[in-house]
Amino acid sequence: MTNWREKAAAALRQWNGPLTNDLVLTPGQFGLGQVPARLQPDDTTTVVCGYCSTGCGLNVHLREGRAINITADSNYPVNLGMACPKGWEALTPLAAPDRATTPYLRNSRGELEPVDWERAMVLFCERFKAIQQEHGPESVAWLGTGQICTEELALLGALGKFGMGMIHGDGNTRQCMATAVSAYKESFGFDAPPFTYADFEESDVIILFGSNLCIAHPILWQRILRNRNCPEIIAVDPRKTETAMASTQHFAIRPKSDLTLLYGLANLLIAGGSMDHEYIAAHTNEFDRFAKFASHFTTDRVAAETGLSQDDLWRFAQTIARGKRVSFWWTMGVNQGHEATRTAQAIINLALLTGNMGRPGTGANSITGQCNAMGSRLFSNTTNLIGGHDLGNPQHRAKVAGILGMEEQRIPTQPSLAYDQIIDGIASGKIRGLWVIATNSAHSWIHQTEIRELFAKLDFLVVQDMYHNTDTAQLADLVLPAAGWGEKEGTFINSERRIGLLKRVSKAPGQALSDFNIFKLVAQYWGCGALFEKWSSPEAAFQILKEFSRGQPCDITGIADYAALDACGGIQWPWTDSTTTPLPERRLLEDGRYYHPDGRARFVFEEPRPMAEIPDEAFPFLLLTGRGSSAQWHTQTRTGKSDVLRKLAPAHVYVEMHPDDARHLGVEPASLVTVTSRRGALDALAFVTATVQPGQVFIPMHYVSTNRLTFPSFDHYSRQPSYKACAVSIHPAGKTPTRPRVS
Amino acid sequence: MPGMIAELPDEGTLLRTVIDKLLEEQQQLTAVERFSRRHEAHAVPAHSRYYRDLIPRTKPGEGQQYAFGVDLDACTGCKGCVSACHSLNGLDDDELWRNVGLLHSGTSAYQQTVTTACHHCVDPACMNGCPVLAYDKDPKTGIVRHLDDQCIGCQYCVLKCPYEVPKYSKARGIVRKCDMCSARLAEGEAPACVQACPNGAITIGLIDRAALTVGTRTADRLLPGTVSSAYALPTTTYRTRRSIPADAAAGDAGVFRLQEAHWPLVFMLVFSQMSVGIFAALAALPVSGGAAAALAVTGAGLLHLGLAASVFHLGKPLGAWRAFLGLRRSWMSREIVAFGGLAGIASACAALHSLPFVAPVVPATAIIANLIPYRLGEGLAVGAALLGLLAIYCSAMIYIDTQRPCWAAGHTVRKFFGTAALLGIAGAAGVLAWMDVVSPGGYEGVWQALMLAAVGIHCVLFGVDVAWLTRGLSTGFTYQHRAARALWLQRQGAIFVTAALFCSSTLLALAALIFTGLPAALSATASLGLTIGAQIIDRYFYFVASEPFRMPGPVPIRQEEHS
Repeated sequence: MTNWREKAAAALRQWNGPLTNDLVLTPGQFGLGQVPARLQPDDTTTVVCGYCSTGCGLNVHLREGRAINITADSNYPVNLGMACPKGWEALTPLAAPDRATTPYLRNSRGELEPVDWERAMVLFCERFKAIQQEHGPESVAWLGTGQICTEELALLGALGKFGMGMIHGDGNTRQCMATAVSAYKESFGFDAPPFTYADFEESDVIILFGSNLCIAHPILWQRILRNRNCPEIIAVDPRKTETAMASTQHFAIRPKSDLTLLYGLANLLIAGGSMDHEYIAAHTNEFDRFAKFASHFTTDRVAAETGLSQDDLWRFAQTIARGKRVSFWWTMGVNQGHEATRTAQAIINLALLTGNMGRPGTGANSITGQCNAMGSRLFSNTTNLIGGHDLGNPQHRAKVAGILGMEEQRIPTQPSLAYDQIIDGIASGKIRGLWVIATNSAHSWIHQTEIRELFAKLDFLVVQDMYHNTDTAQLADLVLPAAGWGEKEGTFINSERRIGLLKRVSKAPGQALSDFNIFKLVAQYWGCGALFEKWSSPEAAFQILKEFSRGQPCDITGIADYAALDACGGIQWPWTDSTTTPLPERRLLEDGRYYHPDGRARFVFEEPRPMAEIPDEAFPFLLLTGRGSSAQWHTQTRTGKSDVLRKLAPAHVYVEMHPDDARHLGVEPASLVTVTSRRGALDALAFVTATVQPGQVFIPMHYVSTNRLTFPSFDHYSRQPSYKACAVSIHPAGKTPTRPRVS
Repeated sequence: MPGMIAELPDEGTLLRTVIDKLLEEQQQLTAVERFSRRHEAHAVPAHSRYYRDLIPRTKPGEGQQYAFGVDLDACTGCKGCVSACHSLNGLDDDELWRNVGLLHSGTSAYQQTVTTACHHCVDPACMNGCPVLAYDKDPKTGIVRHLDDQCIGCQYCVLKCPYEVPKYSKARGIVRKCDMCSARLAEGEAPACVQACPNGAITIGLIDRAALTVGTRTADRLLPGTVSSAYALPTTTYRTRRSIPADAAAGDAGVFRLQEAHWPLVFMLVFSQMSVGIFAALAALPVSGGAAAALAVTGAGLLHLGLAASVFHLGKPLGAWRAFLGLRRSWMSREIVAFGGLAGIASACAALHSLPFVAPVVPATAIIANLIPYRLGEGLAVGAALLGLLAIYCSAMIYIDTQRPCWAAGHTVRKFFGTAALLGIAGAAGVLAWMDVVSPGGYEGVWQALMLAAVGIHCVLFGVDVAWLTRGLSTGFTYQHRAARALWLQRQGAIFVTAALFCSSTLLALAALIFTGLPAALSATASLGLTIGAQIIDRYFYFVASEPFRMPGPVPIRQEEHS
């Protein structure tokens, strides 16, 4: 009976058919496992990811040369077969329907209207030249990016300053790694992050300052988990982040008390005799002055200012003292602060005084943000002269002019204004024309309302982007359609100085051009095309970059070409020996020789200062901002285009607040609250959680309204904005604010 | 892998499992697997070196099956598993088979991301509910596979699964779900999520099914806030060395979420229940002739209307004929078969009752009319009423069987049979009121008594609903509270409309009792219409205020879910 019934049922069940076939898998070949049959590749190639500075290798599955799918590259030395959702979804934003497929010009009705490249270029040059003629070369500036290739950044910098005669250009890298640059330059003598990712695996103590690695750089957290020394992992963060949860020790200091904490730790280590006398004597300067300075940071004082207990401080210092290979890592929690450079240097000081430099598993290491932050640091020709050179140095100027075959006078001696100073320049009328490339200032810049008003004041605003509808493009007079990651060639330089290769695996839509080609086009129309004749392709430009780097700490003259980069899985700078193959992982400073003329590192320090806007009775909460999830990237112009990534992050802006604060304010979980600062307000959904401390709230930076609230304060040395400190008030939405209680 | 935990058993079973594990491990010969360089020639995937320790080296034995294991301590929320699953399985743009949620505490600084997919249950609720046997639990691997070409898109599995696993695609008209990458496992490859986790947090293990069948207690749950594991016997193991705080809750616990309305089902339920009520009235009342015919035709018409509406709920209606296949386990099958039978009986009943009126006009039917005794029609009415009540019971069981807290047995039975009683009686009253207009005096007392009864029933039902809502709003954090809050916050207007419909229908019913003749019939009909409207909104509430059990959700949130 049962048998009969089963047979009948089996006959009436359709095990196969068109719907079933949609999901059939098939061997992918090329070392892949099984892949969806309808996405079987006929070839694969490795491309470096275009989101963050981790610089993962993505294995692009190709059919007839076009990308059809992506997996994480199993062999790339950075990510060892893994990727975060942004990498997995890297192709999706390319196919978005709102790609800019033609230049757009704002017409008399105030709408953006498609125009052809010819008209766009003629207008571009006409308008910017007219502004320069009337107001001088300083009146037109550019805001660049860490999201385009090094070759493109270099061409932009050279074109802007040497070809178009601009003085001021800066990039959104000011928002992410300017602090690390200033700190390394002053302490080491060159902007030289010394580490390699293998150091994560070699340490016995790993200290993360202001770094939510699990979310912001998941693949680097993976490298920590590969560490076989059962390392102590210390997270220093006001919030109990995913990383703090996964660490072995978490110190939830008061926001912006990290500089005091670091000096206090130095004091404890020095007082406890845990310094490496030999290293200090052989490789550093200014230690005695530093030791005297640090002695003022008593445990009493540091405990009171950081909110940690004295036991916590002892435990922290002891962990460092007992470690044989201690590595210190920092990210945006440090870089984005009002005294960020000194904080980064205070981390460097700890590594120097304990001799945790130049050996496996050690170092004072900056993990940066964008995929090509370091390409920008070295080659963008903005604050520095191209190739890590000094604008004020006549020899450097002669070298650069010689390589480019141009007269030295084309190199301006006047330093460029920083991002915030360019914005101030718009306010004062000094800057009247602006060219924004691959960044979304109208969302990302601190105190957003102001920058939007100022952009409207400009005589001419050009925005060059993949999408015609970014917050910034919507304000533009002219939009230039750019090809994106995967639609062009070039190189990125990641956090560990690895130069990785970007390849063309997808066709740019419509008339979109690579940024490199747009710059070439501008040079032609501007009338300085001859100057850039040698820059015939990104790879030709790479050969020019090699010449810029010659003799510098970042010398890459030993890298033959793109094929060499591809074969090696990227190559870290420096590399000067073209006859051998570089090791897959190399660190700097193994010989203890720093980049100051005397070969020594410096202890740099300064008395801490209070943050600019301290919570008070009217605005009793301190607003922290930062990354919300691994599925969102910055202003979401790209990640917002993927259904998958959108599903992996909350669609609506939310604010994390402590249950005690929520109770006091009568805020129910998931209800709408109004968050107000002196500069603006937003409505957010309350995420009531004890991972934030009472009196503090957190809002992810990915939502366009977040920067309505932030307070424009900047590190004095790096000019990096302090995004993680402003005073706000909170009350349930729709209700009149009652007198807020200070908790 | 560092960071991986080999085994984290309960303390009680510590000794046995650790020893067993070590003994088992000792018997594995791993030199070839671990040190062979075959992969360099692409004989095996280049990626296999990362995952070969994360999947079993042997196929499941007798009584065993594959199961996901999740090391919560290693899950740090990167969500790479979700994307990898999407890309390596070639899913639709907005289709996710795996998800990452969040547990957090309201009192201590604790948060834990939770990766989750299908739990490949030992007693799969989806499979037990499927009316067409579109789910198959592989006897060897235990993987619960969905047969995409068998699916008719009824979405009952979506309601049945307490872990939100089956995903309905409107464009495809079917449901799809995680199959643990069975094709990959068959070739010795790891599932996509296992391959992609940078921290090795997801593993595939072998479990003994009997251990779950016998050992699962009602109080067991996968994680705080999830359904009792006794319901479906999920096989996934979540492990952690940290202690989960007692007050740990899902990231989106504060969100009061309305569920899908399933409009075709709303209409199907209301009309089919009304139809059964009318057949019951026909069977019970001393009516004959034109009145009986009118009732039978109305009842049959409503039933067909309801069944027609239900077809719109199916993604693949052409496959609906297979619905009897699941009769042994699925209440959905039983309901479809019962209503299918009812449709036949009801139609026959209506036809027989109508014959005397059709025969004079269409001579051919007169022959049949003479052949069939009139009493057969009466018998069919009784049959329709009884089968109808059984069908309504099946309808109720469909929802009760989902274990949704808001679809409790008493609540559901009261609503479904309440509608049948209310609309059956009110509907019969309406029909007879019109018969009274056609031939005055015949049924005046009857329909007035019915009208009065309907008013009484409506008052009771409405009163119970109001009590449910107010109790829900005032009680603590129960599912009823969450449902009541969701309705109150997001559908307040509709609540007041229902109240208005109740009041006006009651007033009109009372007015009908005062009037006579045509005005009375018109008032009764208007009252009936408004009552049906109120019941439709009530059934809509039944669907939208039915928050299911699910795995922990992520950080809130969408605004539209809230206000």
